[in-house]
Amino acid sequence: MKEGFRQAMAWLHTWVGLIFGWLLFAIFLTGTLAYFKDEITHWMQPEVQAHPLDEARSLAVAQAYLQQHAPDAARWFITLPNSRDPGLSVMWQDKLDPGKRGNFVQKVVDPVSGEAVLARDSKGGEFFYRFHFQLQMPHPWGRWLSTLAAMVMFVALITGIITHKKIFKDFFTFRPRKGQRSWLDGHNAVGVLVLPFHLMITYSSLVIFMSMVMPAPIMASYGADTRAFFSEMFPATDNAPALGQPAPLQSLVPMYTQARAQWAGGQVGRLAVNNPGDVNASVNIFRAGSDRVAQDFGSMVSFNGATGELLRVGGGQSLPALIGGTFYGLHMGHFATPVLRWLYFICGLAGTAMIGTGLVMWLGKRQLKHARTGVMPYELRLVETLNIASMSGLLIAIGAFFWANRLLPASFAERSDWEVQAFFIAWGLSLLHAALRRGRRGWIEQLSCAALLLGAVPLLNAITTEQHLGVSLARGDWAMAGFDLTCLGSGVFLAWAAWKMRCRMAPQPTAERALGLNLTREAR
Amino acid sequence: MKSKTTLPVSYRLAVTSRALAAVFGGYLIASLAAVCMALWLPTSRADAVVTGMMSSFVFYLLAVLWCFACRTAWRAWFGVMLPTAAFATLAGVGLWMART
Amino acid sequence: MLLALLLCYAGFTALCLSTDRHHGELLRSKPSPQRRLGWRASGWLLLLGSIWPAVAVAGWSQGLVEWCAVLMLSALLLVLLLPYLPRLALSLAGAGLLASPVAAFVTL
Repeated sequence: MKEGFRQAMAWLHTWVGLIFGWLLFAIFLTGTLAYFKDEITHWMQPEVQAHPLDEARSLAVAQAYLQQHAPDAARWFITLPNSRDPGLSVMWQDKLDPGKRGNFVQKVVDPVSGEAVLARDSKGGEFFYRFHFQLQMPHPWGRWLSTLAAMVMFVALITGIITHKKIFKDFFTFRPRKGQRSWLDGHNAVGVLVLPFHLMITYSSLVIFMSMVMPAPIMASYGADTRAFFSEMFPATDNAPALGQPAPLQSLVPMYTQARAQWAGGQVGRLAVNNPGDVNASVNIFRAGSDRVAQDFGSMVSFNGATGELLRVGGGQSLPALIGGTFYGLHMGHFATPVLRWLYFICGLAGTAMIGTGLVMWLGKRQLKHARTGVMPYELRLVETLNIASMSGLLIAIGAFFWANRLLPASFAERSDWEVQAFFIAWGLSLLHAALRRGRRGWIEQLSCAALLLGAVPLLNAITTEQHLGVSLARGDWAMAGFDLTCLGSGVFLAWAAWKMRCRMAPQPTAERALGLNLTREAR
Repeated sequence: MKSKTTLPVSYRLAVTSRALAAVFGGYLIASLAAVCMALWLPTSRADAVVTGMMSSFVFYLLAVLWCFACRTAWRAWFGVMLPTAAFATLAGVGLWMART
Repeated sequence: MLLALLLCYAGFTALCLSTDRHHGELLRSKPSPQRRLGWRASGWLLLLGSIWPAVAVAGWSQGLVEWCAVLMLSALLLVLLLPYLPRLALSLAGAGLLASPVAAFVTL
């Protein structure tokens, strides 16, 4: 009976792993990149200058800009610059009829001059962040699909643990250069050794969207008044409505100082001003997510915008809210210091590698049966095409995204959308290429292409801007230099991978038979 | 796994049946378990709801594992429907009590 | 974080040496039951002990997260080194242990 159970779990692991593996690979890779989204944005908008941080001045500048450009907006948002993100970001939501969602407009403002920064329009790292849970699909379908993928990932992880019989015996086992055995060892290594991260990231992604995917308890407990639930959990949404009587907005700076005093010197993350210019204007000041591990959605200080009077201070969290907030905070990693952020990144890459090795092994095992004839059935050819396109194809797309950022003219109005188009066009082309140039040839060519695109990024940067490695390293601009160096390193790694594949490839067709025999020998 | 002979239709039907039980039955169990927790936990309303939602995914996982571990597809459905009925009863009682 | 890393890495190396297969590979001898117990005990002690420097510097919540990260990454580093550079893997553990008092002095 126990053998039957393990076998059943192995079957489940294999099949859900395959069907959702391609999507999960993309989610994991773009999500991993999102840990450095501010740094990516910085590289993609090199015109945004970093100034020494002066929050009070930045806040005053932001308020003046919003008062001038969006005095009648429904809501203002101000995100103060910090060490990772030098931009002073302002956003407003246009006023519309009740029940309709107004448009959001976002601008980056220079915190010294008060003018909008003339940086090239680009989504920057935000593209990867949004893609990894919205999947470029209309709201809310992308979120549903990515949360479904997260549930499948959870099943795949647990079934993988159940299936791995010798999880403790083989804890330190990694035997390279042994064909399929090495791929399995590698899959197990990046799976088991980084398991706490994988379980955390998967379960936390379910918790993050739980109100959307599991709304039954809210409706059962609150009936028709679901708004009350969200007001309790997220007091930021519980604001006084506009009265329609105009009143000038007080200066935000003293409110900012008061809020920080409430938090004994804690950092301010962002401010939201509701109905600016109204008598019932409210200012919500949110604590920076980087202050602590667990995200506290209640930790905000609210003021009346017209009088400056302190309305309420968000209190402590209950245990369930703390647990939920911890899941959220651990997933986002806002609190991570630079070293820890790199560890997050490496763990994310390990997860991506776990999925990738799984996909390669799924095909490799079944390809052995057809190695002698050299002809693969339709289903395996499909898997092979999807494997190549979803992995090396995605890497090519990422490279294309960065190249588009540097090559599209800065003044081109729709360049932000076209950068994203370049990403998807490149990905689509790689799918086409994978379908036509199957097998190792497809892998080698795509890996080489990705290696070239990513490895040449520092060169591209040097040619198209004045912020090349020599300048960025000398200035201590670690975000810029780090981006260039990471792309270079990735390029080197992919070139090595392409070269390794080339070495393994049979040089002449007559050697295919020998290759087949070799493969069967390796399988034992 | 892949042989020259194709898999029998009954096998494919059984797998599909188990998959449906896992996906939809599992979601039902998870939702109802969460509803029960939201209605029965002695904490504040919001806390009970949050606890219910956060734990629901474990129930979903257990349902999925059961659907593929049990011996037949019929057992899969039975094993899903039984807890569903139990949770639904508990939830019903909870809602009735909240109303009165 | 550095001290926690050194201790975790050394701890995992010790646990690795407590297994028959890896002890045979690395030290070319089969471990006696007492040896095995010794390696296992010191391994676990080092791993658990590494929690303290992580938490002492950064507090409980941030410290535990950092400890988990260091735990996973040190294991990954060891497993990747073992097949390619086994002697380096071992000497890193030894050097790490020797360097830990210095790391403790500097960071704590």
